[in-house]
Amino acid sequence: MSCDDNKDARTKDRDRRRSLPVVDKSVAPAKGAAPADGGNGLWRSQRPWRSIDERDRQGAMPGAANEFPAGTMDVDDNVSRRGFMQLLSVSTAVATVGAACQKPNEKIVPFVRRPEEVTPGNPLHFATAYALEGYGSGLLVESHEGRPTKIEGNPAHPQTIGATTAIEQALILGLYDDDRAKQLRQGVTPIAWRSLLGQINANNAKLAENRGAGLRFLTAPTTSPLLLDLRRRILERFPQAKFVSYSSVADDGAVDGARMAFGKPMVPRHRLGSADVILSLDSDFLAEGPEQTRLSREFAARREPSPRMSRLYVVEPAVTVTGAMADHRLRMQGTEVGSFVAGLCSVLASRGLEKLAPLASLSHGERKWDMKWLVALAGDLERHRGSSLVIAGCRQPPAVHALAAALNAALGNVGVTVEYGAPLTPDPLSGPAPLAALAQDIAAGAVDTLVITAANPVYTAPADFKFAKLLERVPNSIYFGLNEDETAAACKVMVPAAHALETWGDVRATDGTVSIIQPLIAPLWGGIQEAELYAAFIGEGDVGANKLLRRYWQGQFKGGEFDAHWERWLADGIVPDTGVAAEGGVAVDGAALAQTVAPLLTRTKSGMEIAFVVDPKLYDGRFANNAWLQELPHPITKLTWDNAAMLSETTAKALGIETGDIVEVTYRDRHVDAPAMIVPGHVDDTVTLPLGYGRTGVGVGGVAKDVGFNAGALRTSDNPWYDRGATVAKTGRRFKFAITQDHWTMSPDGRVIPPPAVEGPIEEVLKRDSKFHEEIEVRRGPLPTIHEPVDYSKQAYKWAMSIDLNKCTGCSACVVACVSENNINVVGKENVWRGREMQWIRVDRYFSGNDDSLSMITQPLMCVHCETAPCEYVCPVNATVHSDEGLNEMVYNRCIGTRYCSNNCPYKVRRFNYLNYIADYTAVRELGMNPDVTVRTRGIMEKCTYCVQRIERKRISTRIEGRTIADGELETACQQSCPTRAIVFGSLNDASSKVSQQHADPRRYDLLHEIGTRPRTAYLARVRNPNPELHVPDAHGAGQEHGKGEHE
Amino acid sequence: MAAPHPSVSRDPLEPQPLIEGVHTDKTINDSLLAHVWRGAGKGWFALFSVALAMLGLLVIAISWTLYKGIGAWGNNIPVGWAFGIINFVWWIGIGHAGTLISAILLLFQQKWRTSINRFAEAMTLFAVICALLFPLLHTGRPWFAIYWLMPYPSTNGIWPQFKSPLTWDVFAVSTYFTISLLFWFLGLVPDLAALRDSSKSKTKRMVYGLLAMGWRGSGRHWAEYKWAYVLLAGLSTPLVLSVHTIVSFDFATSVIPGWHTTIFPPYFVAGAVFSGFAMVMTWMVPARHFLGLKHVVTMKHLENMNKIMLVTGMMVSYGYIMEHFIAWYSGDPYEYAQFFKTRWGGPMSGIFYLMVFCNVVTPQIFWFKKARTSIPVMWIASIFINVGMWCERFNIVITSLHQDFIPSKFENYSPTWVDITLFIGTIGLFSTLFLLFLKFIPAVAVTEVKELRHELAHDPTADPVGETH
Amino acid sequence: MGPLFRPRHNTLALISLFVVAAGAAGVPAGLMVYARTPYARGMQDPIEQPVQFDHRHHTRDEGIDCRYCHNTVDKSPAAGIPATQLCLNCHSQVWNKSPILEPVRQSFIQNKPMEWRRVYKVPEFVYFNHSIHVNKGVGCVSCHGRVDQMAAVEKATPLTMSWCLECHRRPEANLRPVEEVVNMDWKPDGDPVAVGRELAAKNDVHTRTSCTTCHR
Repeated sequence: MSCDDNKDARTKDRDRRRSLPVVDKSVAPAKGAAPADGGNGLWRSQRPWRSIDERDRQGAMPGAANEFPAGTMDVDDNVSRRGFMQLLSVSTAVATVGAACQKPNEKIVPFVRRPEEVTPGNPLHFATAYALEGYGSGLLVESHEGRPTKIEGNPAHPQTIGATTAIEQALILGLYDDDRAKQLRQGVTPIAWRSLLGQINANNAKLAENRGAGLRFLTAPTTSPLLLDLRRRILERFPQAKFVSYSSVADDGAVDGARMAFGKPMVPRHRLGSADVILSLDSDFLAEGPEQTRLSREFAARREPSPRMSRLYVVEPAVTVTGAMADHRLRMQGTEVGSFVAGLCSVLASRGLEKLAPLASLSHGERKWDMKWLVALAGDLERHRGSSLVIAGCRQPPAVHALAAALNAALGNVGVTVEYGAPLTPDPLSGPAPLAALAQDIAAGAVDTLVITAANPVYTAPADFKFAKLLERVPNSIYFGLNEDETAAACKVMVPAAHALETWGDVRATDGTVSIIQPLIAPLWGGIQEAELYAAFIGEGDVGANKLLRRYWQGQFKGGEFDAHWERWLADGIVPDTGVAAEGGVAVDGAALAQTVAPLLTRTKSGMEIAFVVDPKLYDGRFANNAWLQELPHPITKLTWDNAAMLSETTAKALGIETGDIVEVTYRDRHVDAPAMIVPGHVDDTVTLPLGYGRTGVGVGGVAKDVGFNAGALRTSDNPWYDRGATVAKTGRRFKFAITQDHWTMSPDGRVIPPPAVEGPIEEVLKRDSKFHEEIEVRRGPLPTIHEPVDYSKQAYKWAMSIDLNKCTGCSACVVACVSENNINVVGKENVWRGREMQWIRVDRYFSGNDDSLSMITQPLMCVHCETAPCEYVCPVNATVHSDEGLNEMVYNRCIGTRYCSNNCPYKVRRFNYLNYIADYTAVRELGMNPDVTVRTRGIMEKCTYCVQRIERKRISTRIEGRTIADGELETACQQSCPTRAIVFGSLNDASSKVSQQHADPRRYDLLHEIGTRPRTAYLARVRNPNPELHVPDAHGAGQEHGKGEHE
Repeated sequence: MAAPHPSVSRDPLEPQPLIEGVHTDKTINDSLLAHVWRGAGKGWFALFSVALAMLGLLVIAISWTLYKGIGAWGNNIPVGWAFGIINFVWWIGIGHAGTLISAILLLFQQKWRTSINRFAEAMTLFAVICALLFPLLHTGRPWFAIYWLMPYPSTNGIWPQFKSPLTWDVFAVSTYFTISLLFWFLGLVPDLAALRDSSKSKTKRMVYGLLAMGWRGSGRHWAEYKWAYVLLAGLSTPLVLSVHTIVSFDFATSVIPGWHTTIFPPYFVAGAVFSGFAMVMTWMVPARHFLGLKHVVTMKHLENMNKIMLVTGMMVSYGYIMEHFIAWYSGDPYEYAQFFKTRWGGPMSGIFYLMVFCNVVTPQIFWFKKARTSIPVMWIASIFINVGMWCERFNIVITSLHQDFIPSKFENYSPTWVDITLFIGTIGLFSTLFLLFLKFIPAVAVTEVKELRHELAHDPTADPVGETH
Repeated sequence: MGPLFRPRHNTLALISLFVVAAGAAGVPAGLMVYARTPYARGMQDPIEQPVQFDHRHHTRDEGIDCRYCHNTVDKSPAAGIPATQLCLNCHSQVWNKSPILEPVRQSFIQNKPMEWRRVYKVPEFVYFNHSIHVNKGVGCVSCHGRVDQMAAVEKATPLTMSWCLECHRRPEANLRPVEEVVNMDWKPDGDPVAVGRELAAKNDVHTRTSCTTCHR
């Protein structure tokens, strides 16, 4: 019997992976043999922590001080490649005998030399960082025997403060992506790194003749001290060479705007801690940009229900995560925001902010918005001088940013809620402007050698550059990228990049704090590192990134014994005292500003507005091959595996379009066919197109290929975000969306059921005897029952969770964190369409009110671990049962898949493996799986376990130490990743625990309390803080049904 | 032969004869065994090949399901059960007519049951065989389900969950099948003997001989036979009620609006008998024609069955009404939404209205004797009822599941080709078995008819086998 | 035609009926018995290893502590199979020419790991943790038997779930002072149950039988 059990419900052999000498072979330094670069990092140059608190206790690690002279740290990609081949052979070898019965004919493969910090079976955590748009977010990566398996936020890092975004969580899958570029090639012929270095050296000599005039670098925006230093040295050698930094989603507006306002380019840094009133001008600051994680935390902290609760106004075209959190949301076309903010200036000026007087004249022309709204807002801002904040979004033009800066200055917010600092990078602008210059040079034939390290510019560059065509004119084009993507296809030489988790480097956070990026594993396919490619142009291509980095920092380091500090930096994930202070006194010359801005605000064009947005999942498309992100439901539309042309209901009706119609969007004689989707709260007469989809390139991976449409094909350099003059026409064809939530409201077909997500206005929440509290009261507390409830108070722990709807922004980081921690399978578009998505956490979102007074609420819902669970008694084989501590346990290996439990689950939080989704996992992909969680095959039910594997690990380690698990010591994956700390987990038997307090909160209620399931997960109601001057739309949506997702 | 009676003295409760025409045991024997000895006709082969083709589809669908997993079906979350369970319940229900006729009517000594019981019992058997496919097939890992559902001392020291209605099903259905099989076979024994004796070829003789288990028709044989028969009847009487009651528990014990209701047991049993008789009718009408059984399966039999359909149809309708009444009266918002929003106006409301037409409206025509005694009317009506009862199960299983408590997880459902093929396939399996039955076994219990003939002959109150016309 | 069957066929019929009945009952019963046999559990079957490693010699004669080689047993789920380096700690001095040890030396020189054959295996969905057992005073011998008397190691216990549960329900019988875990000959002095009870109290033993204790 158990023989069959072995074959079935099998994990991706945990023991096998435990014994796999993946990294130890490829990277553990062998005497004599030149060890891999990453290897040294892994086993020698790092001080790992097993836990966050241990890091603090930890002294310098004896013997860890690097045993190998710097000289031995050369790259030898052969080592890692050999290691990888060995891994393959071993894993296949084991796989073949995997189905062993009681007599396992199975191998145990121990280390040859065990690195002393590795205890097989116990994971380690290493601090590193990830750079996006040049800004770093600090991460902690969990590593099992050298295989990174899970990413968490580094609490010590000023931007991530222990949390992550969905995209950061998904990096793990990106690392093990089998579609990554694996071969260094020149044209179609594979070549070795060393021989490429030879060619580069030869070429360097040529370039040197005319002082590098023909040399260009097209890089991603970067703040890396190392890379910038290498750039300096390259420019020393080739003074005529140029570096161009490009990102299709660059935040140039802010920098340019600051230049208009203050006379020099500056970057705003926001602090929401002391912001009582926040106005977002089309800024999705809770889910966009390098500050998002910290801003979310600070924002949530100020949303605690109290008289001091902050108030958020949002002006935006399409609903964003930030817009969904707004107390007052005004839908407005992107091109209107300018004149709106001008209007705001004039109203405030009239209210006695004389600093704004010069700007008052800017407001003219017809006003498309509700004046009452503007006045109320102005009043609120004016009442909160010095504690308010105006944030402009990265899609807004410089003029809007400039006015926002002026407003902040006039309101006395500068230095309190926002400060302006010099850009941390020598090239402040990295949008279309600098790229245009490069394009000209190329067109003029002035470029001989072009090195591209920017993310896939051929795909992301504005359509009018025809970048692919341009590249044909460059004799030597070298592309450094993760994938064989569109750009790789257009370049002469393709250099496979090492993944962020395979890389040595450094990066600054928005406040300047430096983090050292260290590899978690040797490059799986011998990828090259950016620093090495740079170094090749100063003849140091063979030095190795690790050495370059250490050398640089040794140079920077003043006084004392370097190695110890280096160890410390690596372990902490940040280099202390590297922050760059913001500049103090910034003054706005109102009159001058008015002059510069005036012409920019006058509306010239007319016609329908076209708007491009950064996709919250695929970003600019660089994560398109990441199945976790593809299948992650969009925070607002809940759309997976596609993007859609988003329209308002009114506009769609006018054009006779319904959700699912394929429409032709035309703009400046360019067309794309896109499936249309009607989205609540979308502004009229605008079509919004998310970027990052419609990848068609030759080398584009199987996941990304032909998913969605490429909005970038319509994008032009002069108006990269908003412009008028688009047309949308029905084609008559239909399209099938895979949406995880059909219904927009809490009362589809007007059914009268208790709203799953409760919310109330602040004044009612603060009053004890209010309608709000009446409603809450009936949704909690004991219910009459005929049988005695089980008493869990005698148990060591009584696990429970609480989710604060007032903090949850719906960013969905928790969903990906859960997928990563629990080896959750990806099912693909067809199965999502059928309603078979597997994510254990479902972030439900409900709209209420109408398009103009839209309010949205998100509600993460995973198994609530009912004390009287309907799923348990119906299982014929006892595969789901209750633990002594009240966990609702799911025993995969006992499950026969009757699906009765799921039918009988009123929350519908159980997930079933309808097909054998693990069948197509590659050997490499398996390395990324969490060995502590069984991998589920076909025919097995699964669901949230409260991360029981973490509970048990912690239980055992603490029991050995002879103590109990302290509150906060144990975090579930979702809780850990949550930027706003909306999720709290702990034991109710500890009266002082955070979760106990949350369960006692006056806002606490139980979902479906009335059916008596006694859930262990409690919800805290959302609180809104509307401006009394404005009419408050009815909280729980009597609002009309907003249409349904396509399901034909 | 008894003396002629004046027609006035005929029992008004027995307006039509149960056996038409003048018969001796011999004529009955010959006429009823005839179709076994007659070489299979073209018609039979035609039907049989069709049935076999459908059976082929079943094989394909099952293999594909086992190969791909349940994902080959249209099921999802929240609709964890769909066609598989619908078919299961539908087929089990159809089985009920047989048991009712053979057991209950026997105990109530309803004479008219004799000519149709064999037929109905066979149907029970084959229907249950079709039904039995699904409980196993619909699990994610049948290779474990097949023995983990059984209570046995395993090396991992765990037992089935006896609180689960699915575990009850295992016992209920397997018992039902066993008893039905025994009952049916026991009834066959004398006829098999008759076949043995009248068979020409050695092999046929051997086969029937083995099956007849050495029946010689001695007095002792008859005495014990009668005993066993009544005993089994007594055993299977409770089964008529228990099986579908327990099947209904699969739903009634849950918390899902539309499932969580106390009326299910009686309502399921009534529905089962309803559909059972409909299915008997669907097959009996052509069978009695082609096998020349008109003289033993008379209009009286058919009419009585129609009456039963009318009664059970009314019970079922009452069930529907009660569901809606309770949904409103209980004040449970989810229950209310389930019936008055989802069933009436949801994406699957069409099925609901079809069900109402077939199961509530259709049987009403049986108030009229004209309809009750019109062959085409009753045949078409019976087919409607079969369809209607399938729709009823669709409403209960899928419509209830696809919109339950939390609007965010309301999902639509659409079947795949495998779902549909499976359903057609089971009909194929049923037909194949049934055609074989018609070919090789007397479709009417010969001995019992002979017996009946004697009873009628010697019963002064009864009709003297219709000699008086 | 003559009669089909003779009287003796009656007995034949009876016998065949009996056989069928017996088979229906016997086959499952047989399987259940088989599943519990040492053979089916793969016990009492010494396993050849690539290097003829003799536990008797190392533990008895040399008196090497189990934890010298299996050195993560008290801090990790995995007991730990020694790295080649560890073997050579001694064998670079003693027997450093012995042909038996050639594979070990090769492994070290070529940086290619030894490939030992697995003796004990629990299904992959079972998360057994050595450290907690060892730290709570469950002796090696309780599960691995008298390894100190095995030329080649063999599986000494059935490792069925019911076998695990037995101890998790009544651990007393298998408890000993934590410092005695590796001692193969340790016997409780006095009434085993009483000793077990006080050890359970002393070592603060709380065995668990919730499913997720082992299945996650």
